[in-house]
Amino acid sequence: MRGLIEFVVRYRNYITLSTLVVMSFSLMSIGNLSDLGGFRAVIVGSIGWIQSAFSWIPNPVALKSENTALRELNLQLAVEVARSRQAIVENATLRNLLRLPQYTDYGLIAADIVGKTTTEQRNYATINKGKADGVREGMSCINDAGLVGIVIGASDHYAVLELLINRDTRVSAKVLRTRVDGVIQWEGENILVLKNVPRSLDVQRYDVIVTSSYSSKYPANIVIGKVSSVEDEPNSLFHRVVVQPSVNFSTLEQIFVVDARPDPERINLERKIDEPARPKQTP
Amino acid sequence: MALNFDIRRSEYVTNPVLRYIGYGVIALLLSVVHVVFLRFMQVSSVTPDLLLILTVFIAIFEGQFTGMIAGFLCGLLFDVVSTDVIGTNALAKTVAGFVAGYFYRENHGMQFVGSFNFLLVVALSGFFHNLIYSFFFIKPMQVSFWLFFLQYGLAATLYTTVAALFLMLYVNRRRD
Repeated sequence: MRGLIEFVVRYRNYITLSTLVVMSFSLMSIGNLSDLGGFRAVIVGSIGWIQSAFSWIPNPVALKSENTALRELNLQLAVEVARSRQAIVENATLRNLLRLPQYTDYGLIAADIVGKTTTEQRNYATINKGKADGVREGMSCINDAGLVGIVIGASDHYAVLELLINRDTRVSAKVLRTRVDGVIQWEGENILVLKNVPRSLDVQRYDVIVTSSYSSKYPANIVIGKVSSVEDEPNSLFHRVVVQPSVNFSTLEQIFVVDARPDPERINLERKIDEPARPKQTP
Repeated sequence: MALNFDIRRSEYVTNPVLRYIGYGVIALLLSVVHVVFLRFMQVSSVTPDLLLILTVFIAIFEGQFTGMIAGFLCGLLFDVVSTDVIGTNALAKTVAGFVAGYFYRENHGMQFVGSFNFLLVVALSGFFHNLIYSFFFIKPMQVSFWLFFLQYGLAATLYTTVAALFLMLYVNRRRD
């Protein structure tokens, strides 16, 4: 017994250390808030009360880091807002495009504009659909607003469109209300002109202009635009009918290629008959 | 009384019961200060461990046995008020008191605390304290132990040592 007491006294520090370590591990094994019940909850509640009592004291370091975090968050939110706005516009456009096939008799091939080119007032656009998707040279392109242009070249996966706002474009058109015929031609910026309309014929502002069935290149009855003004030029027998295109070419992103090509029999026949007098550009 | 407090001749020094009660009160105050006010001294989530300094102080003044008991109780107190897993700080501070107790020299506590040796002992105890604490702290996390210890453990040890410098300078001035 004496030996045991001497041993304990001699090694009391190590024995105490071992005991405290064992106690610590024991506490760790049960150590969470719920296991200890109300006592610790009271302590935590009291500490929380003291913390809230002194929460009015500003902490410059925390404020600075909070400010930095808020700035970063603000930047992220600004980017998110911009993306959301873009998505809303895109959504509206796509919804309109989705409705389009219900109102047309032609097969449509949806495509995205992936590039735009302007060379000496010749505006072209490149789309991400090509021969592999059924796109062929001579097919017309439309969107929910109206006529966009015509395919002038296609590779396997891409095609190039000659847009309506192109110096070389001629479209046989008519006034929807009065069936008066003419030829649509681009005159720069955002102005189309319906030519060859005699002064005696009835054309008024806000008349809708559509493609004519006389055209060998474009399907009939596709909206081109609205008459914005009718001018009578001096020393001329014709109206100068200015047309506002219905398609907004500056924001053009999605289009449909009309899966219909001009009837080759008709083109050959017309070419055969008109060969000597045929102009270079066929409307 | 507080203004004329002479740390060498005070009854608080000579009467062990009053001394231990004083340690308890100081531990309580420091734990509240730690939880409530140390956020103002926080540098990259690292704060000085005031209770560790107290543990080392007690171990140097009272010896290894008392230092370990004090470390255990201070750690337990801190575990309770800080909502940490109960036992982790108790274990770490027990070991810190054990390490600091090796530097106990009877009746030479004041000289020791007032010297740079005190800072070395705080740093050494803090090293073992944070080594153990880091091990249990990162246990449930997917974090490398050594990365955490080098990033936070050593930084906390350094910060605690810097905080102990003020106690050292205070005691040094009182001693003179």
